[in-house]
This record gives sequence, C-alpha cells and structure tokens, in this order.
Amino acid sequence: MADATAVAAAASSRDPATGLAAVASLRALLESLEELQVRNARDQGWSWQQIADGLSVSRQAVHKKYRRHVS
Amino acid sequence: MFERFTDPARRVVVLAQEEARDRGDDRIGSEHLLLAVCRAVDTRAATLLAARGVTLRLVEDDLRTSEVSDRDALASVGIDLDEVRDRVEEAFGPGALDNTRAANTRRRRRRGHIPFDRGAKNVLELALREAIRRGDRTLGTEHVLLGLLHRETGRAATVLHARGLALHDLRAALDDGPPGAASG
Repeated sequence: MADATAVAAAASSRDPATGLAAVASLRALLESLEELQVRNARDQGWSWQQIADGLSVSRQAVHKKYRRHVS
Repeated sequence: MFERFTDPARRVVVLAQEEARDRGDDRIGSEHLLLAVCRAVDTRAATLLAARGVTLRLVEDDLRTSEVSDRDALASVGIDLDEVRDRVEEAFGPGALDNTRAANTRRRRRRGHIPFDRGAKNVLELALREAIRRGDRTLGTEHVLLGLLHRETGRAATVLHARGLALHDLRAALDDGPPGAASG
C-alpha cells in the first residue's frame, strides 16, 4: 500500500488529477454496486417502488434505468 | 485533412486507432499517436525518437506510471477497493463486482470508428502547421512528432518533455537533415 500512501499524500496536496480520478472511480464503483443491489432486490421479489424508496429516487428513474437489463 | 499525409504518416494514424481499440479507450488521444509513432519503426519520427533513447517500451512504462488506477484513486479518499470487492464477492459470488453491466460497459472493446479527442486533433493540426512552416509539401511522421511536442496537446507532450525532448531541439534536428530529404 505504499502507492496508496503516496496517492493519499497527493490528494491532500490538492492535485486536481488525483481528486477527479477519485470521483470518477467512485462513480464507477457506485454504478456497479447499485446494479448488483437492484438485481438482488428484484431476485428477492421487491417491487420497483420498494427499490426506488431504498435508493431515495423516483420509481420512474430506477425503472427506466434497469428495466431492460434486470427482470 | 489527410490528403497531404505521407504513407508512413497515414500508417501512424491507423496504428493510433488500433492502440486506442486494444486499450479499450473510447477516444484517440495524443498518447495513442505517440505509441503509434514508436511502433512505426523505420519512419523518420521513430528514428528521431530512437536516437534520443525514447523507445516503445519506455513510453508504455511512462504512460502506465502516470495512470491512476481505480484502486489508488479510491485509496486517496480512504476507500479500500480490494476490501469492497472481497465483501461483495462474499455476498454475491466470485467476480460479482467486476461482472456487472456497468463495469463491462466501461471497458468494452470498441468496434468501428474511434474519434480523435481534442488533444489529438490539435496534434494533427499543429503537424500540418509545422509542415507549412518548413515549406514541406507533404505531412510526414516527423511533423506529427513536432505536433506531439506542443504542450497543449495532452499526455504525449508530458511524457516527451519528461524524457528531455523539446520542440526547438527537434525542429533544429530536422533543419540539420539533408536538404530536400523526403518526408516520411
């Protein structure tokens, strides 16, 4: 984790490249986790409304994003 | 814009497209053009680079070092990606995090045409300007190399400058070449 320490130091030096890369990686991680959890909830019989409530978004938003890829 | 390109310069453009595709990138950047120039051995640009100790291998290493991995980027905000992956896999099975549609869309191999990004377009425009400036009728790999050395074109210039190459030196090196040397 020597690299991570170096990057953490860079982050505290306000290097935009590092800060923006962290946000981009977080967004990618978020998308993967959301997809996994939505699929899992549907597999367990949750309604789109219940999933929307869990994510604090509208039913339309979650349905539109996942209906084609998650049954 | 490509009508004045020499055959080797055209080959560099094609190789840059292949570089971008092989790396799963959705734009051709100046770094792909630089890798392509290094790959196009026996061209004037590759010869100039080799004479200054810049090889394909070195450029690949330099680019890798300047890339921030997801793991490092997340570590900078205190998130341990390996830990997240382990926990997700405990719940959802091996590869669960990396096999989502979201993860695969991100590194999908592109088919067909890959567009140039702003920096790469700048490289080619600057290459054309360098050719005109020198009174050359065609645009060769050496002009592409000069374009890559302009600071505002992106990652290639950063790598080349760090390796000690400067625009004025390369311009001078071309001036010292035999007069009327074929562009290539």
